[in-house]
Amino acid sequence: MTTRVAIDCDDLIRACALGDRSALRALYELEASRMIGVAQRLLRRRALAEEAVQDTFVSIWHKASTFDAARGAGRTWVYAILRHRALNMLRGERRLEFSDAPIGEEQASEDDDPETIVTQLSDKAALRRCLQGLAADRRAAIVLAYVHGLSHSDLASKLGMPLGTVKSWLRRSLISLRECMG
Amino acid sequence: MNDPVPTSEEEKDVLAAEYVLGLVEAVDMPRLETMMETDADFARRVGAWRQRLGALDETVPGGQAGDALWSRIETALGPSVAPRAGRVEARPSRWMALWDSLPFWRGAGFAAAAAALLLAFGMGYFMQQANRQPVLVAVLMTDQNEAAAVVRAFADGRAELQTIKPIAIPSGRAVEIWTLWDRAIGPKSIGLIQSVSGKIDLRLDGLPRPTAGQLFEMTLEPATGSPIGRPTGPILNKGNAAVAL
Repeated sequence: MTTRVAIDCDDLIRACALGDRSALRALYELEASRMIGVAQRLLRRRALAEEAVQDTFVSIWHKASTFDAARGAGRTWVYAILRHRALNMLRGERRLEFSDAPIGEEQASEDDDPETIVTQLSDKAALRRCLQGLAADRRAAIVLAYVHGLSHSDLASKLGMPLGTVKSWLRRSLISLRECMG
Repeated sequence: MNDPVPTSEEEKDVLAAEYVLGLVEAVDMPRLETMMETDADFARRVGAWRQRLGALDETVPGGQAGDALWSRIETALGPSVAPRAGRVEARPSRWMALWDSLPFWRGAGFAAAAAALLLAFGMGYFMQQANRQPVLVAVLMTDQNEAAAVVRAFADGRAELQTIKPIAIPSGRAVEIWTLWDRAIGPKSIGLIQSVSGKIDLRLDGLPRPTAGQLFEMTLEPATGSPIGRPTGPILNKGNAAVAL
């Protein structure tokens, strides 16, 4: 299923490179709702998430000719652009909305809980098995960073740990994850 | 703190993971963006991490992507001719881009000027060529029925011979070209060649204008031509002139 979608994405991106706007529309039908969800988990606000998705589709259209399937699946490429854009909005262009309350604290719901997210991973996913092999706080830190865009200092204040400790601690968690997943 | 110190391989991998997670400090970002372009190994590690962590994107509850957002995307992409038949749409949008392109119109301007200049020269050339339309053509065939040469006679009285296939001329010999328009008079020599290649002008001065059916032939003769003014050697090829259309 995932493979089929990935192949579809590759073809659609190639068609975009040839100037086929209906391919971009098809990609929108296929991925936009999930992309909004991914962006909203990072940016919290729906309006900002839509802005990130809009920018991403414009980028896909203009950069489609640079897509190289040999360097990774089209779908991964699309989400890399989206995350890059959303993280820039979150960090580089830090907005007023984010300056008051700590990120990750507002509009928190059960769906956003890192443990819930891990259990939503497919049973067969190596990522689930390997994350579950980590200590709960290490697992939570990786998921919060990836899914909600928490920075080192966000994590430090959330976990009540010094910044330097969080950084080295997270690095070792990533090495463990890497060793587990291969 | 008892964990081993990361090796440099590991450090590069961790850096790639931090890049994917968005944990890289703003000051380090330009350096990493450059690495993504120039360091294939680093880009590969980043790709692998995207692959590993991408499963987390699948856990998102699907929101709704409405037509309103698509309309905004279309607006942001700029003008495109109204979508009609799917894939055909791409062409009009590219034409629009061309229509708005200054380099394109500059190029078109220069191209038009160049074309006008070419036309001016071309006119002169073709005026000259008009006199060079042959009125008669004779294809000279070997006795194996292969075309060996073409004779073209022009309105201004000149004629030329164009060889088609190479003719082996033994050393000390030559090929002589003859024409016969009246059996009572017999063949007249109109050219002598030592090496057969390309095009030669034929000597038709003093002879009547060539007419349809007139015979042309090539014979092998001594190096200085036939000593008796008539073909003496074997006929290499021959053909009758026909009126050119």
